[in-house]
Amino acid sequence: MQAIPDRRKISPFLVFFLIHSIQVGAGVLGFQRIISMNSGYDGWISVILAGIVTHVLMFIMYLILEKSGGDLVSAHTLAFGKWIGNIFNLLFAIYFSLLVITIMRTYIEVLQVWMYPRLSTFMFALFFLILVYYIVNGGVRTIAGTAFFGTVLPSYLILTFAFTFKYADFRNVLPVFDHTIKDILISTKNMSLTYLGYEAILMLYPYIKEAKKSQKYAHWALFTTTTIYTLIAIISFAFFSQKQLEKTVWATLSMWKIVEMPFVERFEYIGIANWCLVILPNVCIAIWCASRTIKRMTPLRHRHALIIICILCLCTLTFITDRKQVNFLNTISGQIGFYFNFFYIPALLVLVTIMKKVRQKQ
Amino acid sequence: MFPFFKNKKNTDNTKKKQTYENFKQEAEKSADYKQAFYQNPHTGAKFSLHFITTLIDGKILQEDVLPSLLSKDFHSFDDLKTLVPVLDIEVSKDEAQIEQKLFNGYTLLTMDASNRKFAFIATKNEMGRKVSQPEVEFSVVGPKEAFVESLSDNLNLLRKRLPIKELLVEEFNLGKLTHTRVALVYLDGLVDEANVNTMRQRLRAVDFDQIMDSSFIEQLIADNSNSPFPQLLDSERPDRVASVLVEGKVAVMVDGSPHALIGPTTLVEFFNAYEDYFLNFSIASFLRLVRVFAVGFSILITPIYVAALTYHYELIPKDLMATLVTSRQEIPLPPILEALFLELTIELLREAGARLPTKVGQTIGIVGGIVIGTASVEAGITSNVLLILVALAALASFTTPVYRMGNTIRLLRFPFLLFAQLWGLLGIVFCFCLLMGHLLQLTSLGRPFLEPLYPPRMKDLKDALIRFPFSKQAGRPEYLRTKKPYRFRPSEAKKKLDIDE
Repeated sequence: MQAIPDRRKISPFLVFFLIHSIQVGAGVLGFQRIISMNSGYDGWISVILAGIVTHVLMFIMYLILEKSGGDLVSAHTLAFGKWIGNIFNLLFAIYFSLLVITIMRTYIEVLQVWMYPRLSTFMFALFFLILVYYIVNGGVRTIAGTAFFGTVLPSYLILTFAFTFKYADFRNVLPVFDHTIKDILISTKNMSLTYLGYEAILMLYPYIKEAKKSQKYAHWALFTTTTIYTLIAIISFAFFSQKQLEKTVWATLSMWKIVEMPFVERFEYIGIANWCLVILPNVCIAIWCASRTIKRMTPLRHRHALIIICILCLCTLTFITDRKQVNFLNTISGQIGFYFNFFYIPALLVLVTIMKKVRQKQ
Repeated sequence: MFPFFKNKKNTDNTKKKQTYENFKQEAEKSADYKQAFYQNPHTGAKFSLHFITTLIDGKILQEDVLPSLLSKDFHSFDDLKTLVPVLDIEVSKDEAQIEQKLFNGYTLLTMDASNRKFAFIATKNEMGRKVSQPEVEFSVVGPKEAFVESLSDNLNLLRKRLPIKELLVEEFNLGKLTHTRVALVYLDGLVDEANVNTMRQRLRAVDFDQIMDSSFIEQLIADNSNSPFPQLLDSERPDRVASVLVEGKVAVMVDGSPHALIGPTTLVEFFNAYEDYFLNFSIASFLRLVRVFAVGFSILITPIYVAALTYHYELIPKDLMATLVTSRQEIPLPPILEALFLELTIELLREAGARLPTKVGQTIGIVGGIVIGTASVEAGITSNVLLILVALAALASFTTPVYRMGNTIRLLRFPFLLFAQLWGLLGIVFCFCLLMGHLLQLTSLGRPFLEPLYPPRMKDLKDALIRFPFSKQAGRPEYLRTKKPYRFRPSEAKKKLDIDE
């Protein structure tokens, strides 16, 4: 791997924004239904549980990165050698491209359902991917900047949840532990899609100045995300009845409906439009990871890899047309992400540790 | 046989032989080249003077040079410095210098038996505007001096404010035909060498035939010359330039231009007027926030109007909707055309006002604003709500203290309008994302343009969108990486007296 020049690196605290912004995406708009399906009003416990698990995984990922002294591709080479390692690299690139498609398609679906029924998936995806290309072209610093503004600027949206307090009944959450551990665990697994994305650190790591220092910021980012999700979950549980929640696909958006100000009604329009700013760093980071992996494993230039992935994503996006397919897409990427994070990454740590010792002995 | 080669050789030869005779032949073609022959009556020494009449000050020749050369004991070049009371006299043998010196207002003195020696006497006619009030960056309080076209006058204004030996001036000669003097100014021992080096390198790399103003330089050396955003700050206030030099920035001044260029600069600096530093910090901060709000308002208000009325009626509460409906019920045009029509009218008025002489310009502004505005509302082409919004937006865009940035904001509105028509609110946010992506990638002398917003630097935020009092500003801006990061010891500012001490 070529050494990355210092002026292309980012300060360690920006990792906070990178991790936080790739976690918060289209999932926030409607994760409440998914977690309450199994564990009802106890869903918030699974939100916290899933959050705690992300901390453990982040810790493991930092261990892998420190041991392999580079990024995921170097870890793969260390663990499997070049050829088998490349197969895993390719899988990883596909996984991140899948995330890009999932994020974008979900957001476009929200747009089509809530705001513009006649919005063409192709046109929006095309414009959006051009924008993404333009930003990723600027390098990691620009992406981190997008993540920074994508976190800071829409943060005012949190305040709008205060409008729901008038209609909320927080006693809904009681009694706690009304469901079996198994139900809660299933919800925890379902929740993991909403948390996905923090694996990006596996590729971003070499771009961080004093990378070891960044770990605490990464954990802070996970903590912030967990807190925000838990808050939103509890507020939604207080606001909706269980029957309503079952039928509300985008509970967060439905809550915005009741925001009313002297000059603005139907706040969800502003919320959805603003969400574009949240989605952007999401897509940028994911597509950067995918193209960077391709660049590291093939002689392709990063820019060309990026263009190829953009075009592939665009093609795939246009083929996904109805609700069922979008749902399927979400489930699939959730499943893959779950297995990738919960099984593959710990296994990789074990392999990397063993292989490193083996190589050292040789 | 080889005519091409021969030609080349010939031109090479003529270039090398930049002799006095050659030069004379060329120069004599112009009517304002003059030579005069004299003989000193006491010593019999013969000498001649050559000069460009339109460039020199005849008074110096007549009152200082000629009397001393003709009435005193003048034998040879060695006597020149003792006899002639002119500050800048240079004896030389280098004939290649003749052209450059003569066309810069020097008089050439040759003697018959001189062994091809000659002397240059400075007789330049210094003509130009007197120092006057700043017109672009006017301030109510504070100094009222502005730069003029003469580089030496401008440097004088600067030196007066920074009478220290650390203030260094490096001169460059740019422009193949204009030979414009360009000065790079900085405070040695304080400024980051990297900034000076970048600027020096870029100035040296300038390859253009004419440099008429500092804005030529700005466009030629900008980090991204395709961007509508100016990446070097231009200022006509000597106090502002002196003050940023003290902060650790680099300035470039161009002969013939009343504007100095300052770099590296940041986006927020374009929204700071120098007057902010003359006012109390709370007032200054308030004014800065007003300006930021004004810029946002100016860019976004018409696109939001178009978006809301084209796509999102539901956004508008009932009572407000009634007002909008009444004002729009007789308008045949869709909101986007209505908005474009009014925006273009305002742009027309501005452009006409800027091109016309001041007094006519004012009249046009008033006539245009009032008459066209009311007439178009009465004729039912535009709604009066939009008229108010557009007028307010135009007014708001005038609050940017730097004229160049004002122009950028004028331009920015149109892509926002088009995207608002395309996708409503989503289009506005999308266009904002584009703008953000662009700004994130911009640099000024290689330093990030959005600093201190991104990369976020808390210390530099003290003098960005709001201004902290001077006692809190112990540090120089961090992104400049100055060699002396502190203006005064921060501990001094923290001393506080207890009650009744």
